[in-house]
This record gives sequence, structure tokens and C-alpha cells, in this order.
Amino acid sequence: MCLAGAIFAPISYFIIDSVPLTAVGISTIIIGFTCIALANARPYISPEACEMILRTGMENTTALLEELGLRNRAIYLPSTMRDGHPQAIIPLTEDGEIQRVKAKIPGRLIVRYGANPEDMAIAVTTPGSINIDMLETRPGPTSGDIEAAATYLLSGVLDIASSVSVKLADNKIDVQVNGAKLHYEDIWYYRCLGSPIASMVAAISSEALQKPVRITDESYDRGKSRITLEVLS
Amino acid sequence: MRIYNAYIVSLILAAGLVNAILASLGQSELEVYFIINIVVYLVITLLYTYFNPRARRTLNTIGIVLSAGFIVIVALKVVEILSG
Repeated sequence: MCLAGAIFAPISYFIIDSVPLTAVGISTIIIGFTCIALANARPYISPEACEMILRTGMENTTALLEELGLRNRAIYLPSTMRDGHPQAIIPLTEDGEIQRVKAKIPGRLIVRYGANPEDMAIAVTTPGSINIDMLETRPGPTSGDIEAAATYLLSGVLDIASSVSVKLADNKIDVQVNGAKLHYEDIWYYRCLGSPIASMVAAISSEALQKPVRITDESYDRGKSRITLEVLS
Repeated sequence: MRIYNAYIVSLILAAGLVNAILASLGQSELEVYFIINIVVYLVITLLYTYFNPRARRTLNTIGIVLSAGFIVIVALKVVEILSG
């Protein structure tokens, strides 16, 4: 494109003697350089390698969840509650009072999140936990800020969705992800921790609101992923 | 690559539209075409705020080079006017 523009512009100016055509040539050069710049800005690691790394982590976490027989939904914690690094905890008991998660939780695999002996959980790192570090600033506690941060990560950085809309009401967050490439599957890992996209949205929301967040519902229909989050405490 | 595709398509459409409008108005100054193309490029690049940091850095570099060209043209015009 650059080369075509570089040839076309002087021909238009000196031989054809047409200023508009010369301008078209110059525009082509600018767009050509932009294409080259964007192509060079893509990551070095291939998508296949990234998928392999993601699947490896998922398989290991699934093995742990299956071995412990955990089916509870994970609670995403902000970084301030987990030694500066956001993580998710999966309660060991099914009827645990989740609203008790308030204090800072120690940075271990098996953690206590409440005062009662049964308030135990395992703490795991999720795709959302890792991606929070890619945000340049911590998002604010409004739906607009959460939407901007989610759009930046999912569309701009990771390119796994085309747009994100967020509605925040009381203790419920409704998120619609359009053009989602990683959708929900009915597997053990997703039932506990949510799909990678839901995990990222939950981690962003938790970090923005500085409160624990849980994925309550997730559905996928014709390229649209709908995620419902519950804000705890 | 959807957001990047949308950005490139926006640039192509905007540049084509600007050049077509200026040509239809009978504009014959190459500097005018160049300056308006640069302004359109900078505005569209600013509108796409969700690029990853590496892409943004490279686009900013192109923007700086184009802005320098813009300043040079304006400076030459000012000198031309002042010198009569």
C-alpha cells in the first residue's frame, strides 16, 4: 500500500499533473504506514500458543476442583483483599454465608474467609486476575468506567469481543458482550469460575467497586454473551 | 482484529471522502489536501482509544511525524505571507 502510494503520488503530480490524485497517493502512503505499524504491534506469541497456555491452566484448576468436589461459584476479590493481586475464592461448603467476605484474605491456596470454622475456601488465579494488570489505571466505581475498562481489555488488548455494555443497579451488574469469541461451555471449570470473558468482567467489576463479586448467570446466544454479576457485602 | 479493521476502514473512507469533497470544490492546493488528511487521521486515531499500548505507541509516532509535516507546511505558508 505504501509502495503503491509512493509510486502513484509522484506520477500524479509530475506526469498527470493532478493535485487530487496526488492527494490520494499521499493518503495511501499514510494509511499504508498505519497498517504496517498496527501489524508490527501484534503480539509475538501465536494464538495457538496462547490457547495452549490457557488450556493448561484451566485443566490444572479443573483437576483440583474435581478432586475436591467443588461446585460452588467463585467469588472474585479485589486486589486490596488479596495481597495486592486480585484472585477468586471458591468456598468449600455449599451453604456458606458468602456475605461474610469482608476482611483481607491471606495469600495461600486454602484460606479462611469468615469467622466460622466452615468458612474455608480455595483461592485461585483466574484469567481475569491476570488481565487486571494490563489496565493502565484502576477503573472507577461507575458502570461507564467498568464498561470502558472491559472494552479496553476485551476489544483493544485481547481482541476477543467487539463491544461491551454494562448496567449497574444496586448489587447487580448486567453485562452484554457482543461478538464474543470465547463463549460459555457447560464444563466444571466454567460452572465454578465462569468463562474467561465472564472472569475478566468479574475481576474488573470487583476491582472497580472494591467489593467481592460473584458470577450468578452466564448465557451465550448468537455472538452475544450475557453475564450477570452479584456484588457482595 | 475487528477493532483494527474498523479503524483502517474508517481511515480509508474518511480520506476518500475528504479528497473527493476537496476535488469537487475545485481545490488545487496540495498543502490543503495534506493538512486536512492529517487532521482527519489525528481525529480518527483519537476516537479509537481502546487499542493496546504497543499499537497506541506506534500510532502516536506516526501522528508526531505527520504533525511535524503539518507544522512545516504552516510555517512555510506564514513565511510566504510575511515575505509578501
